[in-house]
Amino acid sequence: MNKLLHKRRDFIERSLLSALAFIKDATLSEECANRKGFLQSLDPRVKTISLLVFLVTAVTLKSTGLIVALYALCLFLAFFSRISLIHFLTRTLLFIPLFSLFIVLPTLFSIVTPGEPVWSFHLLGINGIITRPGLDGALLFVVRIATSVSLVVLLSLTTRHSDLLQVLRIFGVPQLFVLTVSMCYRYLYLFATMVENIFTSVKSRVGVVSHHRYGQKVVAWNIANTWNRTTHISEEVYLAMLSRGYTGEPRRLSAFHATPKEWFWLLCAVIICAGLLYKGDTL
Amino acid sequence: MHIPDGYLSPATCGVFGAVMIPIWMAASKRVKKTLKVRQVPFLAIGAAFSFVIMMFNVPIPGGSTGHAVGGVLVALLLGPWAACIALTVALVIQALLFGDGGITAIGANCFNMAVVLPFTGYYVYRLISSNSPAGSRRRVIAAGAGAYAGICMAALCAGIEFGLQPLLYHRANGQPLYSPYGLNVAVPAMVLGHLLVIGWVEVLVTALVVKYLQKEDSVFFEGGSS
Repeated sequence: MNKLLHKRRDFIERSLLSALAFIKDATLSEECANRKGFLQSLDPRVKTISLLVFLVTAVTLKSTGLIVALYALCLFLAFFSRISLIHFLTRTLLFIPLFSLFIVLPTLFSIVTPGEPVWSFHLLGINGIITRPGLDGALLFVVRIATSVSLVVLLSLTTRHSDLLQVLRIFGVPQLFVLTVSMCYRYLYLFATMVENIFTSVKSRVGVVSHHRYGQKVVAWNIANTWNRTTHISEEVYLAMLSRGYTGEPRRLSAFHATPKEWFWLLCAVIICAGLLYKGDTL
Repeated sequence: MHIPDGYLSPATCGVFGAVMIPIWMAASKRVKKTLKVRQVPFLAIGAAFSFVIMMFNVPIPGGSTGHAVGGVLVALLLGPWAACIALTVALVIQALLFGDGGITAIGANCFNMAVVLPFTGYYVYRLISSNSPAGSRRRVIAAGAGAYAGICMAALCAGIEFGLQPLLYHRANGQPLYSPYGLNVAVPAMVLGHLLVIGWVEVLVTALVVKYLQKEDSVFFEGGSS
């Protein structure tokens, strides 16, 4: 039993985990977005614009120190939006920034980035020299990515996903596209549940698929089957839309409302970013 | 393949955003002509399908698993222009709601995965399958070849985008400001991984799914799904 628990996960378990991770992420985000915190209290349009202004600033800045200041602001916003800091740090640092750190590691060394040495070591007969330009470049790269990821996670954790998709309208995205995105998002839950059911039933019937060729056939057949279901569902969805009065012109049921407090926040965000960019230019 | 925020400079992101606008407009025009109101849910559900393909893990020799992107498969099922919209929708949802792929890099990601990937794959499929019968083996091989060409070409584009960053955006002392490796490292790093491993997962999934769909609904492939 213990051996089984420690065995490497097969494709059935991994597929199950992918589907469950999607449902878990979406549910957790919705739960966070419903809390009474600072970012949750803002109008989705104002919040999206302000966080995008911060994001563009983070990507534009060339000073690690200033980007760290922006990262500190992210932690501050997460705290006042009642997001658990441990959860926030895990979600924002563990995946993309860690992967980026791994990618950028060779640039620390003098072989890739020559320059003033800051630390040298001797390991397994190899002399390693870490250089100042290598270290600075790697830090800038990783800190910028961590800050960018944090800003996007803040946006998705503090805004109801349906609202966030509707915000696309303010960027002039055609209503038909927004409707497609919104419908697609809803059907993702259905499909994720479908994938979960498919692999739960495969696991319950065959346990472990021993040969990869048979496993590949199982996966391909299930993708083909999912596509067939997709075409049937789309017909049923269209009929359901018609029965609810759909005429080809989508309409929104609720509108967004921004208060002076929210416009003030947006002004503050623009001033902070302008200040950071000005400071970055003068450094 | 999903480029996160911070790997590409704002100018590069802006250029790809600008390149994508006319492509999205052309795609909308083409899709509106061919897709009727009745098929709006079909497009949305097709987009959800392209998202969900990535949840299917495929066993590969050696006990490991991988997942397909499915862009060429979606292009074969919906046609390349509708696939462009469906994949864009999936990429927007991934970037905005799940932090997978950057928001500032959405133009570049859509160019690689919603344009280069489905169009290359689709036209390679058309070229090889030619006028072969709907249920023929040649179409299965054509689908696999299209998937391989599509994913490798998309990887090449991503490699070039990464590789151009240190050439175009660096400090006076040559220190790169964004993606740190030049074309000589970024292109082989992106392309080799796709040529040797990821591309074959894509071939396998696309070819096998087309084979199963041929058995069940061969009429679908008769017109080359244009």
